[in-house]
Amino acid sequence: MPDAGKYGRRRWVVLGIGLLFLVCAWSLGLTPAGLIPPDATRWERTGEFFKAALNPAFDYEDPNVPDDADPIWLKGLKGVFLTLKFAFGAMSLAIPAALVMGFFGSSSWWPSPCGRALKGGLQTVYFSCRFLMSLLRSIHELIWALLILSAFGMSPLAGMVALALPFSGTLGKVFSELIDEEARDAASALKAIGHRPVQTFLVGTLPAALPNLITYSFYRFECALRSSAVLGFVGIETIGLYIELSHEEFYYREVWTYFYLLLALIVVVDFWGAGIRKRLNANTGGCRA
Amino acid sequence: MSERVAELRRSREKSLFLRVSALLVGGGIIWAWFSSRPLLGRLSAERRWENFKNFAGELVPSPVRKSGDWSEAGPWAWDLLTDEGFLALMTTLGIATAAIILSATFVLPLLPFASRQLSRPDPFGMWAGRSGTFRVWVRRIVGPVTRFGFVLARAVPEYIVAFLLIALLGLQVWPLVLALAIHNLGILGRLWGEVVENAEPAAAEHALAAGQSRNSVFLSRIYPANFNRFLIYFFYRWETCVKDATVLGMLGLLTLGKLIALSKGFFWDQMFFYILLGASVILIGDLFSTFLRRRLR
Repeated sequence: MPDAGKYGRRRWVVLGIGLLFLVCAWSLGLTPAGLIPPDATRWERTGEFFKAALNPAFDYEDPNVPDDADPIWLKGLKGVFLTLKFAFGAMSLAIPAALVMGFFGSSSWWPSPCGRALKGGLQTVYFSCRFLMSLLRSIHELIWALLILSAFGMSPLAGMVALALPFSGTLGKVFSELIDEEARDAASALKAIGHRPVQTFLVGTLPAALPNLITYSFYRFECALRSSAVLGFVGIETIGLYIELSHEEFYYREVWTYFYLLLALIVVVDFWGAGIRKRLNANTGGCRA
Repeated sequence: MSERVAELRRSREKSLFLRVSALLVGGGIIWAWFSSRPLLGRLSAERRWENFKNFAGELVPSPVRKSGDWSEAGPWAWDLLTDEGFLALMTTLGIATAAIILSATFVLPLLPFASRQLSRPDPFGMWAGRSGTFRVWVRRIVGPVTRFGFVLARAVPEYIVAFLLIALLGLQVWPLVLALAIHNLGILGRLWGEVVENAEPAAAEHALAAGQSRNSVFLSRIYPANFNRFLIYFFYRWETCVKDATVLGMLGLLTLGKLIALSKGFFWDQMFFYILLGASVILIGDLFSTFLRRRLR
Protein backbone atom coordinates (compact mmCIF):
# COMPACT_ATOMS: atom_id res chain seq x y z
CA MET A 1 0.00 0.00 0.00
CA PRO A 2 1.27 3.47 -0.83
CA ASP A 3 1.90 5.55 2.25
CA ALA A 4 0.22 8.85 2.98
CA GLY A 5 3.26 11.00 2.23
CA LYS A 6 3.56 9.63 -1.28
CA TYR A 7 -0.16 10.02 -1.81
CA GLY A 8 0.10 13.69 -0.91
CA ARG A 9 2.94 14.22 -3.37
CA ARG A 10 1.01 12.61 -6.19
CA ARG A 11 -1.92 14.89 -5.59
CA TRP A 12 0.26 17.97 -5.84
CA VAL A 13 1.89 16.74 -9.03
CA VAL A 14 -1.48 16.18 -10.69
CA LEU A 15 -2.83 19.52 -9.46
CA GLY A 16 0.33 21.24 -10.64
CA ILE A 17 0.03 19.74 -14.10
CA GLY A 18 -3.62 20.80 -14.30
CA LEU A 19 -2.69 24.32 -13.27
CA LEU A 20 0.10 24.38 -15.83
CA PHE A 21 -2.43 23.56 -18.53
CA LEU A 22 -4.59 26.52 -17.49
CA VAL A 23 -1.56 28.81 -17.55
CA CYS A 24 -0.58 27.61 -21.03
CA ALA A 25 -4.14 27.88 -22.32
CA TRP A 26 -4.43 31.39 -20.96
CA SER A 27 -1.15 32.59 -22.40
CA LEU A 28 -1.81 31.03 -25.80
CA GLY A 29 -5.38 32.34 -25.89
CA LEU A 30 -6.93 28.88 -26.16
CA THR A 31 -10.67 29.18 -25.67
CA PRO A 32 -13.39 26.65 -26.43
CA ALA A 33 -14.73 29.11 -29.01
CA GLY A 34 -11.62 28.55 -31.08
CA LEU A 35 -12.69 24.99 -31.73
CA ILE A 36 -15.58 26.12 -33.88
CA PRO A 37 -14.76 26.99 -37.51
CA PRO A 38 -14.78 30.80 -37.66
CA ASP A 39 -17.08 31.48 -40.60
CA ALA A 40 -19.70 29.92 -42.85
CA THR A 41 -17.36 28.98 -45.70
CA ARG A 42 -15.09 27.17 -43.30
CA TRP A 43 -18.06 25.35 -41.82
CA GLU A 44 -18.99 24.26 -45.31
CA ARG A 45 -15.47 23.23 -46.12
CA THR A 46 -15.23 21.29 -42.87
CA GLY A 47 -18.43 19.49 -43.73
CA GLU A 48 -17.21 18.76 -47.23
CA PHE A 49 -13.87 17.57 -45.97
CA PHE A 50 -15.34 15.05 -43.56
CA LYS A 51 -18.02 13.98 -46.04
CA ALA A 52 -15.20 13.16 -48.42
CA ALA A 53 -13.83 10.78 -45.80
CA LEU A 54 -16.72 8.42 -46.45
CA ASN A 55 -16.33 8.79 -50.16
CA PRO A 56 -12.66 8.66 -51.15
CA ALA A 57 -11.84 9.15 -54.81
CA PHE A 58 -11.47 6.13 -57.04
CA ASP A 59 -10.87 8.41 -60.00
CA TYR A 60 -9.16 11.78 -60.30
CA GLU A 61 -11.24 14.80 -59.36
CA ASP A 62 -8.93 16.95 -61.43
CA PRO A 63 -10.45 17.25 -64.93
CA ASN A 64 -7.08 18.06 -66.51
CA VAL A 65 -5.41 14.74 -65.82
CA PRO A 66 -4.29 13.22 -69.15
CA ASP A 67 -6.05 10.04 -70.18
CA ASP A 68 -2.93 7.91 -70.20
CA ALA A 69 -2.02 8.78 -66.58
CA ASP A 70 -1.92 5.99 -63.99
CA PRO A 71 -5.25 5.40 -62.24
CA ILE A 72 -5.35 7.05 -58.84
CA TRP A 73 -4.99 3.87 -56.82
CA LEU A 74 -1.83 3.03 -58.74
CA LYS A 75 -0.43 6.51 -58.19
CA GLY A 76 -1.25 6.21 -54.50
CA LEU A 77 0.45 2.82 -54.29
CA LYS A 78 3.49 4.28 -56.01
CA GLY A 79 3.49 7.02 -53.41
CA VAL A 80 3.36 4.39 -50.68
CA PHE A 81 6.31 2.56 -52.22
CA LEU A 82 8.29 5.77 -52.63
CA THR A 83 7.66 6.51 -48.96
CA LEU A 84 8.85 3.03 -47.99
CA LYS A 85 11.89 3.32 -50.21
CA PHE A 86 12.81 6.63 -48.73
CA ALA A 87 12.56 5.27 -45.20
CA PHE A 88 14.67 2.24 -46.11
CA GLY A 89 17.35 4.43 -47.65
CA ALA A 90 17.45 6.77 -44.66
CA MET A 91 17.59 3.96 -42.12
CA SER A 92 20.35 2.17 -43.99
CA LEU A 93 22.42 5.34 -43.60
CA ALA A 94 21.39 5.98 -40.01
CA ILE A 95 21.97 2.54 -38.49
CA PRO A 96 25.69 2.12 -39.37
CA ALA A 97 26.36 5.66 -38.17
CA ALA A 98 24.40 4.97 -35.00
CA LEU A 99 26.31 1.74 -34.34
CA VAL A 100 29.63 3.58 -34.49
CA MET A 101 28.38 6.41 -32.28
CA GLY A 102 26.64 3.97 -29.95
CA PHE A 103 29.89 2.06 -29.49
CA PHE A 104 31.92 5.16 -28.65
CA GLY A 105 29.06 6.54 -26.53
CA SER A 106 28.98 3.49 -24.28
CA SER A 107 31.39 2.62 -21.51
CA SER A 108 30.91 -1.08 -20.86
CA TRP A 109 33.74 -2.13 -23.22
CA TRP A 110 36.38 0.00 -21.54
CA PRO A 111 39.31 -2.07 -20.23
CA SER A 112 38.82 -2.17 -16.49
CA PRO A 113 42.29 -1.71 -15.07
CA CYS A 114 42.87 1.29 -17.20
CA GLY A 115 45.77 3.77 -17.29
CA ARG A 116 44.98 7.38 -16.53
CA ALA A 117 45.93 8.64 -19.99
CA LEU A 118 43.84 6.00 -21.73
CA LYS A 119 40.88 6.63 -19.44
CA GLY A 120 41.09 10.35 -20.08
CA GLY A 121 41.13 9.73 -23.82
CA LEU A 122 38.20 7.35 -23.64
CA GLN A 123 36.19 9.80 -21.57
CA THR A 124 36.86 12.60 -24.02
CA VAL A 125 35.63 10.42 -26.88
CA TYR A 126 32.64 9.32 -24.79
CA PHE A 127 31.47 12.82 -23.93
CA SER A 128 32.09 14.33 -27.34
CA CYS A 129 30.20 11.45 -28.94
CA ARG A 130 27.26 11.93 -26.58
CA PHE A 131 27.26 15.66 -27.29
CA LEU A 132 27.33 15.07 -31.03
CA MET A 133 24.37 12.74 -30.74
CA SER A 134 22.28 15.26 -28.77
CA LEU A 135 23.17 17.94 -31.28
CA LEU A 136 22.03 15.77 -34.17
CA ARG A 137 18.82 14.97 -32.32
CA SER A 138 17.95 18.47 -31.30
CA ILE A 139 17.34 19.65 -34.85
CA HIS A 140 14.15 18.26 -36.31
CA GLU A 141 14.36 16.29 -39.55
CA LEU A 142 12.28 18.86 -41.43
CA ILE A 143 14.74 21.56 -40.49
CA TRP A 144 17.67 19.36 -41.43
CA ALA A 145 15.92 18.86 -44.76
CA LEU A 146 15.51 22.59 -45.15
CA LEU A 147 19.19 23.17 -44.42
CA ILE A 148 20.55 20.38 -46.57
CA LEU A 149 18.23 20.91 -49.49
CA SER A 150 19.09 24.62 -49.54
CA ALA A 151 22.78 23.89 -49.29
CA PHE A 152 23.05 21.14 -51.88
CA GLY A 153 19.92 21.47 -53.96
CA MET A 154 16.99 19.11 -54.17
CA SER A 155 17.68 15.40 -54.64
CA PRO A 156 16.43 12.17 -53.07
CA LEU A 157 19.85 11.50 -51.56
CA ALA A 158 19.90 14.90 -49.83
CA GLY A 159 16.48 14.11 -48.36
CA MET A 160 17.66 10.73 -47.11
CA VAL A 161 20.70 12.30 -45.47
CA ALA A 162 18.45 14.92 -43.86
CA LEU A 163 16.31 12.17 -42.37
CA ALA A 164 19.29 10.00 -41.43
CA LEU A 165 21.08 12.69 -39.40
CA PRO A 166 18.61 13.15 -36.51
CA PHE A 167 17.69 9.46 -36.62
CA SER A 168 21.30 8.42 -36.20
CA GLY A 169 21.50 10.68 -33.15
CA THR A 170 18.44 9.08 -31.54
CA LEU A 171 19.42 5.55 -32.49
CA GLY A 172 22.99 6.06 -31.33
CA LYS A 173 21.89 7.34 -27.93
CA VAL A 174 19.55 4.42 -27.38
CA PHE A 175 22.08 1.90 -28.72
CA SER A 176 24.69 3.13 -26.28
CA GLU A 177 22.23 2.90 -23.39
CA LEU A 178 21.06 -0.56 -24.37
CA ILE A 179 24.66 -1.73 -24.60
CA ASP A 180 25.49 -0.28 -21.19
CA GLU A 181 22.38 -1.73 -19.55
CA GLU A 182 23.12 -5.23 -20.82
CA ALA A 183 24.05 -7.67 -18.03
CA ARG A 184 27.80 -8.05 -17.87
CA ASP A 185 28.06 -11.70 -16.74
CA ALA A 186 29.10 -13.11 -20.09
CA ALA A 187 31.47 -10.25 -20.73
CA SER A 188 33.21 -10.57 -17.36
CA ALA A 189 33.52 -14.35 -17.79
CA LEU A 190 35.19 -13.82 -21.17
CA LYS A 191 37.45 -11.19 -19.70
CA ALA A 192 38.44 -13.55 -16.90
CA ILE A 193 39.71 -16.15 -19.38
CA GLY A 194 41.82 -13.56 -21.14
CA HIS A 195 39.82 -11.95 -23.93
CA ARG A 196 40.71 -8.42 -24.81
CA PRO A 197 38.16 -5.67 -24.13
CA VAL A 198 37.02 -5.22 -27.72
CA GLN A 199 36.79 -8.97 -28.25
CA THR A 200 34.72 -9.20 -25.09
CA PHE A 201 32.44 -6.54 -26.44
CA LEU A 202 32.01 -8.18 -29.83
CA VAL A 203 31.47 -11.70 -28.49
CA GLY A 204 29.96 -11.14 -25.04
CA THR A 205 28.01 -7.90 -24.97
CA LEU A 206 26.91 -7.15 -28.50
CA PRO A 207 25.17 -10.47 -29.28
CA ALA A 208 23.25 -10.24 -26.00
CA ALA A 209 22.10 -6.72 -26.77
CA LEU A 210 21.27 -7.51 -30.38
CA PRO A 211 17.56 -8.40 -30.00
CA ASN A 212 16.97 -5.10 -28.24
CA LEU A 213 18.94 -3.20 -30.86
CA ILE A 214 16.93 -4.81 -33.65
CA THR A 215 13.52 -4.18 -32.13
CA TYR A 216 14.42 -0.59 -31.38
CA SER A 217 15.73 -0.06 -34.91
CA PHE A 218 12.48 -1.39 -36.26
CA TYR A 219 10.52 0.96 -34.06
CA ARG A 220 12.57 3.83 -35.49
CA PHE A 221 11.88 2.53 -38.96
CA GLU A 222 8.19 3.01 -38.23
CA CYS A 223 8.98 6.59 -37.23
CA ALA A 224 11.08 7.08 -40.37
CA LEU A 225 8.09 6.07 -42.44
CA ARG A 226 5.94 8.78 -40.86
CA SER A 227 8.71 11.32 -41.27
CA SER A 228 9.27 10.51 -44.92
CA ALA A 229 5.58 11.05 -45.55
CA VAL A 230 5.96 14.46 -43.88
CA LEU A 231 9.02 15.28 -45.97
CA GLY A 232 6.65 15.19 -48.92
CA PHE A 233 5.48 18.58 -47.70
CA VAL A 234 8.88 20.12 -48.44
CA GLY A 235 8.79 18.73 -51.95
CA ILE A 236 10.38 15.29 -51.76
CA GLU A 237 8.36 12.81 -53.75
CA THR A 238 6.59 10.68 -51.18
CA ILE A 239 2.88 10.28 -50.54
CA GLY A 240 2.92 13.47 -48.46
CA LEU A 241 3.56 15.44 -51.63
CA TYR A 242 0.44 13.99 -53.26
CA ILE A 243 -1.63 14.80 -50.18
CA GLU A 244 -0.44 18.37 -50.20
CA LEU A 245 -0.98 18.91 -53.92
CA SER A 246 -4.50 17.49 -53.88
CA HIS A 247 -5.34 19.48 -50.78
CA GLU A 248 -4.17 22.69 -52.40
CA GLU A 249 -6.71 22.19 -55.16
CA PHE A 250 -9.48 21.28 -52.66
CA TYR A 251 -9.72 17.74 -54.08
CA TYR A 252 -10.66 16.38 -50.67
CA ARG A 253 -11.71 12.97 -51.94
CA GLU A 254 -8.27 12.47 -53.45
CA VAL A 255 -6.71 13.59 -50.16
CA TRP A 256 -8.63 10.89 -48.34
CA THR A 257 -7.61 8.22 -50.86
CA TYR A 258 -3.92 8.96 -50.30
CA PHE A 259 -4.54 9.38 -46.60
CA TYR A 260 -6.15 5.96 -46.26
CA LEU A 261 -3.28 4.38 -48.19
CA LEU A 262 -0.74 6.03 -45.89
CA LEU A 263 -2.76 4.93 -42.87
CA ALA A 264 -2.89 1.36 -44.16
CA LEU A 265 0.87 1.33 -44.73
CA ILE A 266 1.61 2.58 -41.24
CA VAL A 267 -0.85 0.25 -39.55
CA VAL A 268 0.55 -2.76 -41.45
CA VAL A 269 4.13 -1.86 -40.50
CA ASP A 270 2.99 -1.27 -36.91
CA PHE A 271 1.65 -4.82 -36.70
CA TRP A 272 4.75 -6.17 -38.44
CA GLY A 273 6.87 -4.46 -35.79
CA ALA A 274 4.69 -5.84 -32.99
CA GLY A 275 5.24 -9.33 -34.44
CA ILE A 276 9.00 -8.84 -34.47
CA ARG A 277 9.00 -7.48 -30.92
CA LYS A 278 6.99 -10.41 -29.69
CA ARG A 279 9.26 -12.98 -31.34
CA LEU A 280 12.52 -11.41 -30.23
CA ASN A 281 10.93 -11.18 -26.81
CA ALA A 282 12.51 -7.88 -26.03
CA ASN A 283 10.88 -5.10 -24.12
CA THR A 284 12.58 -1.88 -25.04
CA GLY A 285 9.70 0.23 -23.86
CA GLY A 286 9.56 3.24 -26.06
CA CYS A 287 10.86 5.86 -23.72
CA ARG A 288 14.12 6.04 -25.47
CA ALA A 289 14.26 8.73 -28.06
CA MET B 1 33.45 -30.98 -30.82
CA SER B 2 32.48 -29.44 -34.13
CA GLU B 3 29.71 -32.00 -34.47
CA ARG B 4 28.32 -30.88 -31.16
CA VAL B 5 28.44 -27.28 -32.37
CA ALA B 6 26.66 -28.28 -35.57
CA GLU B 7 24.01 -30.04 -33.52
CA LEU B 8 23.53 -27.01 -31.32
CA ARG B 9 23.27 -24.87 -34.41
CA ARG B 10 20.61 -27.15 -35.90
CA SER B 11 18.56 -27.15 -32.73
CA ARG B 12 18.54 -23.38 -32.22
CA GLU B 13 15.28 -21.55 -32.27
CA LYS B 14 14.17 -20.56 -35.74
CA SER B 15 11.37 -18.30 -36.81
CA LEU B 16 10.06 -18.11 -40.34
CA PHE B 17 8.49 -14.74 -39.55
CA LEU B 18 11.82 -13.23 -38.56
CA ARG B 19 13.60 -14.70 -41.56
CA VAL B 20 11.03 -13.34 -43.99
CA SER B 21 11.23 -9.99 -42.19
CA ALA B 22 15.01 -9.91 -42.53
CA LEU B 23 14.73 -10.77 -46.20
CA LEU B 24 12.16 -8.03 -46.75
CA VAL B 25 14.28 -5.44 -44.97
CA GLY B 26 17.42 -6.42 -46.85
CA GLY B 27 15.57 -6.40 -50.14
CA GLY B 28 14.05 -3.03 -49.28
CA ILE B 29 17.45 -1.47 -48.66
CA ILE B 30 18.90 -2.78 -51.92
CA TRP B 31 15.83 -1.61 -53.76
CA ALA B 32 16.07 1.85 -52.15
CA TRP B 33 19.61 2.34 -53.39
CA PHE B 34 19.59 0.63 -56.74
CA SER B 35 16.22 1.22 -58.33
CA SER B 36 16.14 3.45 -61.37
CA ARG B 37 15.49 6.92 -60.01
CA PRO B 38 18.69 9.02 -59.94
CA LEU B 39 19.61 9.59 -56.32
CA LEU B 40 21.57 12.76 -56.93
CA GLY B 41 19.07 14.62 -59.05
CA ARG B 42 20.07 16.73 -62.02
CA LEU B 43 22.69 19.12 -60.70
CA SER B 44 26.35 18.40 -61.26
CA ALA B 45 28.78 17.96 -58.38
CA GLU B 46 30.60 21.24 -59.09
CA ARG B 47 27.35 23.13 -59.17
CA ARG B 48 26.41 21.65 -55.81
CA TRP B 49 29.74 22.59 -54.30
CA GLU B 50 29.27 26.19 -55.55
CA ASN B 51 25.78 26.20 -54.01
CA PHE B 52 27.15 24.97 -50.76
CA LYS B 53 29.91 27.60 -50.59
CA ASN B 54 27.45 30.40 -51.27
CA PHE B 55 25.09 29.00 -48.70
CA ALA B 56 27.74 28.67 -46.02
CA GLY B 57 28.81 32.28 -46.60
CA GLU B 58 25.24 33.46 -46.15
CA LEU B 59 25.02 31.88 -42.71
CA VAL B 60 27.40 34.47 -41.24
CA PRO B 61 25.44 37.24 -39.45
CA SER B 62 24.89 40.15 -41.84
CA PRO B 63 26.67 42.90 -39.79
CA VAL B 64 29.68 40.60 -39.45
CA ARG B 65 29.68 39.95 -43.18
CA LYS B 66 29.87 43.72 -43.81
CA SER B 67 32.48 44.65 -41.23
CA GLY B 68 34.29 41.38 -40.59
CA ASP B 69 34.05 42.06 -36.86
CA TRP B 70 32.52 39.25 -34.81
CA SER B 71 31.80 41.54 -31.84
CA GLU B 72 28.80 42.84 -33.76
CA ALA B 73 27.16 39.42 -33.71
CA GLY B 74 26.11 39.83 -30.04
CA PRO B 75 23.81 42.85 -30.41
CA TRP B 76 22.47 41.40 -33.66
CA ALA B 77 21.49 38.17 -31.89
CA TRP B 78 20.00 40.12 -28.96
CA ASP B 79 17.83 42.13 -31.35
CA LEU B 80 16.52 38.99 -32.98
CA LEU B 81 15.83 37.44 -29.60
CA THR B 82 13.93 40.39 -28.14
CA ASP B 83 12.16 41.21 -31.39
CA GLU B 84 10.31 37.94 -31.92
CA GLY B 85 12.57 35.10 -30.87
CA PHE B 86 11.63 35.07 -27.21
CA LEU B 87 7.91 35.23 -27.86
CA ALA B 88 8.18 32.42 -30.39
CA LEU B 89 10.11 30.38 -27.87
CA MET B 90 7.42 30.78 -25.21
CA THR B 91 4.66 29.95 -27.70
CA THR B 92 6.50 26.79 -28.72
CA LEU B 93 6.84 25.68 -25.11
CA GLY B 94 3.21 26.57 -24.36
CA ILE B 95 1.87 24.58 -27.29
CA ALA B 96 3.93 21.53 -26.40
CA THR B 97 2.89 21.64 -22.74
CA ALA B 98 -0.81 22.21 -23.41
CA ALA B 99 -0.86 19.43 -26.00
CA ILE B 100 0.79 16.78 -23.86
CA ILE B 101 -1.41 17.57 -20.85
CA LEU B 102 -4.49 17.43 -23.02
CA SER B 103 -3.64 14.01 -24.40
CA ALA B 104 -2.67 12.68 -20.97
CA THR B 105 -6.08 13.80 -19.69
CA PHE B 106 -7.81 11.75 -22.36
CA VAL B 107 -5.56 8.69 -22.21
CA LEU B 108 -5.77 8.12 -18.47
CA PRO B 109 -9.51 7.32 -18.27
CA LEU B 110 -9.20 5.15 -21.39
CA LEU B 111 -6.49 2.94 -19.91
CA PRO B 112 -8.72 0.48 -18.00
CA PHE B 113 -10.62 -0.07 -21.23
CA ALA B 114 -7.44 -0.64 -23.22
CA SER B 115 -5.78 -2.94 -20.69
CA ARG B 116 -5.31 -6.50 -21.88
CA GLN B 117 -5.85 -7.82 -18.35
CA LEU B 118 -8.76 -5.70 -17.15
CA SER B 119 -10.80 -5.17 -20.27
CA ARG B 120 -12.07 -8.69 -20.83
CA PRO B 121 -14.89 -10.87 -19.52
CA ASP B 122 -12.54 -12.45 -16.95
CA PRO B 123 -10.18 -9.73 -15.64
CA PHE B 124 -6.76 -11.21 -14.78
CA GLY B 125 -8.21 -14.58 -15.72
CA MET B 126 -10.61 -14.47 -12.76
CA TRP B 127 -14.29 -15.20 -12.86
CA ALA B 128 -16.12 -11.90 -12.50
CA GLY B 129 -19.66 -12.90 -11.76
CA ARG B 130 -22.42 -13.92 -14.12
CA SER B 131 -23.37 -11.63 -16.97
CA GLY B 132 -25.42 -11.85 -20.15
CA THR B 133 -24.08 -12.78 -23.57
CA PHE B 134 -24.30 -9.21 -24.79
CA ARG B 135 -22.19 -7.84 -21.95
CA VAL B 136 -19.62 -10.56 -22.35
CA TRP B 137 -19.44 -9.75 -26.02
CA VAL B 138 -19.04 -6.03 -25.31
CA ARG B 139 -16.30 -6.78 -22.80
CA ARG B 140 -14.54 -8.82 -25.42
CA ILE B 141 -14.41 -6.15 -28.12
CA VAL B 142 -13.87 -2.98 -26.07
CA GLY B 143 -10.19 -3.70 -25.51
CA PRO B 144 -9.16 -4.39 -29.12
CA VAL B 145 -11.26 -1.45 -30.35
CA THR B 146 -9.62 0.99 -27.91
CA ARG B 147 -6.15 -0.26 -28.72
CA PHE B 148 -6.83 -0.01 -32.45
CA GLY B 149 -8.02 3.55 -31.87
CA PHE B 150 -4.62 4.28 -30.32
CA VAL B 151 -2.91 2.74 -33.36
CA LEU B 152 -4.91 4.97 -35.70
CA ALA B 153 -4.24 8.08 -33.63
CA ARG B 154 -0.51 7.56 -33.71
CA ALA B 155 -0.44 6.40 -37.33
CA VAL B 156 -1.05 9.84 -38.76
CA PRO B 157 1.92 12.19 -38.65
CA GLU B 158 1.08 15.25 -36.55
CA TYR B 159 2.34 17.57 -39.27
CA ILE B 160 -0.31 16.29 -41.67
CA VAL B 161 -3.08 16.51 -39.05
CA ALA B 162 -2.07 20.08 -38.24
CA PHE B 163 -1.98 20.96 -41.92
CA LEU B 164 -5.51 19.66 -42.42
CA LEU B 165 -6.87 21.20 -39.20
CA ILE B 166 -5.51 24.64 -40.05
CA ALA B 167 -7.51 24.58 -43.25
CA LEU B 168 -10.63 23.87 -41.20
CA LEU B 169 -10.21 25.93 -38.03
CA GLY B 170 -8.21 28.81 -39.42
CA LEU B 171 -4.73 29.92 -38.54
CA GLN B 172 -4.65 29.81 -34.72
CA VAL B 173 -3.08 27.82 -31.94
CA TRP B 174 -5.77 25.14 -31.56
CA PRO B 175 -4.93 23.11 -34.69
CA LEU B 176 -1.34 22.70 -33.57
CA VAL B 177 -2.31 21.76 -30.02
CA LEU B 178 -4.94 19.34 -31.27
CA ALA B 179 -2.64 17.73 -33.82
CA LEU B 180 0.06 17.13 -31.24
CA ALA B 181 -2.54 15.95 -28.72
CA ILE B 182 -4.11 13.45 -31.13
CA HIS B 183 -0.79 11.94 -32.19
CA ASN B 184 0.44 11.68 -28.61
CA LEU B 185 -2.87 10.20 -27.50
CA GLY B 186 -1.94 7.15 -29.54
CA ILE B 187 1.64 7.04 -28.34
CA LEU B 188 0.88 7.61 -24.66
CA GLY B 189 -1.90 5.05 -24.98
CA ARG B 190 0.61 2.46 -26.09
CA LEU B 191 3.39 3.40 -23.66
CA TRP B 192 1.10 3.71 -20.63
CA GLY B 193 -0.71 0.58 -21.77
CA GLU B 194 2.60 -1.27 -21.60
CA VAL B 195 3.13 0.07 -18.08
CA VAL B 196 -0.25 -1.27 -17.01
CA GLU B 197 0.50 -4.59 -18.66
CA ASN B 198 3.86 -4.97 -16.95
CA ALA B 199 2.50 -3.90 -13.56
CA GLU B 200 2.72 -6.25 -10.61
CA PRO B 201 -0.72 -7.94 -10.65
CA ALA B 202 -1.02 -9.16 -7.04
CA ALA B 203 -2.66 -6.06 -5.55
CA ALA B 204 -5.10 -5.75 -8.44
CA GLU B 205 -6.01 -9.44 -8.22
CA HIS B 206 -6.71 -9.15 -4.50
CA ALA B 207 -8.94 -6.17 -5.01
CA LEU B 208 -10.82 -7.88 -7.83
CA ALA B 209 -11.30 -11.02 -5.76
CA ALA B 210 -12.69 -8.85 -2.96
CA GLY B 211 -15.29 -7.55 -5.36
CA GLN B 212 -13.99 -4.21 -6.59
CA SER B 213 -14.99 -3.13 -10.06
CA ARG B 214 -12.46 -2.90 -12.89
CA ASN B 215 -12.34 0.87 -12.86
CA SER B 216 -11.88 1.12 -9.13
CA VAL B 217 -9.13 -1.50 -9.29
CA PHE B 218 -7.39 0.63 -11.88
CA LEU B 219 -7.80 3.82 -9.87
CA SER B 220 -6.95 2.41 -6.47
CA ARG B 221 -4.29 -0.19 -7.26
CA ILE B 222 -2.68 0.15 -10.68
CA TYR B 223 -2.64 3.92 -11.12
CA PRO B 224 -1.07 4.87 -7.76
CA ALA B 225 1.53 2.10 -7.84
CA ASN B 226 2.72 3.04 -11.32
CA PHE B 227 2.39 6.80 -11.02
CA ASN B 228 6.11 7.45 -11.45
CA ARG B 229 6.33 5.28 -14.52
CA PHE B 230 3.44 7.20 -16.04
CA LEU B 231 5.26 10.45 -15.30
CA ILE B 232 8.47 9.19 -16.92
CA TYR B 233 6.68 8.62 -20.21
CA PHE B 234 4.79 11.87 -19.82
CA PHE B 235 8.04 13.85 -19.66
CA TYR B 236 9.56 11.86 -22.48
CA ARG B 237 6.65 12.73 -24.74
CA TRP B 238 6.71 16.34 -23.58
CA GLU B 239 10.26 16.57 -24.78
CA THR B 240 9.30 15.24 -28.22
CA CYS B 241 6.36 17.63 -28.30
CA VAL B 242 8.67 20.59 -27.87
CA LYS B 243 10.65 19.42 -30.87
CA ASP B 244 7.54 18.91 -32.98
CA ALA B 245 5.91 22.19 -31.91
CA THR B 246 8.94 24.05 -33.23
CA VAL B 247 8.45 22.55 -36.63
CA LEU B 248 4.67 22.82 -36.75
CA GLY B 249 5.15 26.58 -36.73
CA MET B 250 6.38 26.24 -40.31
CA LEU B 251 2.70 26.01 -41.16
CA GLY B 252 2.42 29.69 -40.29
CA LEU B 253 2.04 30.33 -36.55
CA LEU B 254 4.34 32.32 -34.36
CA THR B 255 6.61 29.59 -33.15
CA LEU B 256 10.24 29.24 -34.09
CA GLY B 257 9.27 27.20 -37.14
CA LYS B 258 7.50 30.19 -38.65
CA LEU B 259 10.47 32.47 -38.13
CA ILE B 260 12.66 29.83 -39.72
CA ALA B 261 10.36 29.41 -42.70
CA LEU B 262 10.00 33.19 -43.17
CA SER B 263 13.70 33.95 -43.14
CA LYS B 264 14.44 31.06 -45.47
CA GLY B 265 15.75 32.18 -48.85
CA PHE B 266 16.31 35.83 -47.88
CA PHE B 267 17.96 35.96 -44.49
CA TRP B 268 19.86 32.73 -44.12
CA ASP B 269 21.84 34.14 -41.20
CA GLN B 270 18.63 34.80 -39.26
CA MET B 271 17.27 31.39 -40.15
CA PHE B 272 20.42 29.78 -38.83
CA PHE B 273 20.16 31.79 -35.62
CA TYR B 274 16.57 30.63 -35.05
CA ILE B 275 17.54 27.04 -35.79
CA LEU B 276 20.31 27.22 -33.21
CA LEU B 277 17.91 28.86 -30.76
CA GLY B 278 15.41 26.05 -31.25
CA ALA B 279 18.10 23.42 -30.94
CA SER B 280 19.33 24.89 -27.68
CA VAL B 281 15.80 24.92 -26.24
CA ILE B 282 15.37 21.29 -27.23
CA LEU B 283 18.75 20.45 -25.77
CA ILE B 284 17.73 22.07 -22.47
CA GLY B 285 14.31 20.38 -22.54
CA ASP B 286 16.07 17.09 -23.23
CA LEU B 287 18.44 17.52 -20.28
CA PHE B 288 15.58 18.62 -18.00
CA SER B 289 13.42 15.66 -18.97
CA THR B 290 16.32 13.20 -18.63
CA PHE B 291 17.02 14.62 -15.17
CA LEU B 292 13.37 14.29 -14.10
CA ARG B 293 13.12 10.76 -15.48
CA ARG B 294 16.28 9.70 -13.65
CA ARG B 295 14.90 11.09 -10.40
CA LEU B 296 11.57 9.33 -10.85
CA ARG B 297 13.14 5.91 -11.49
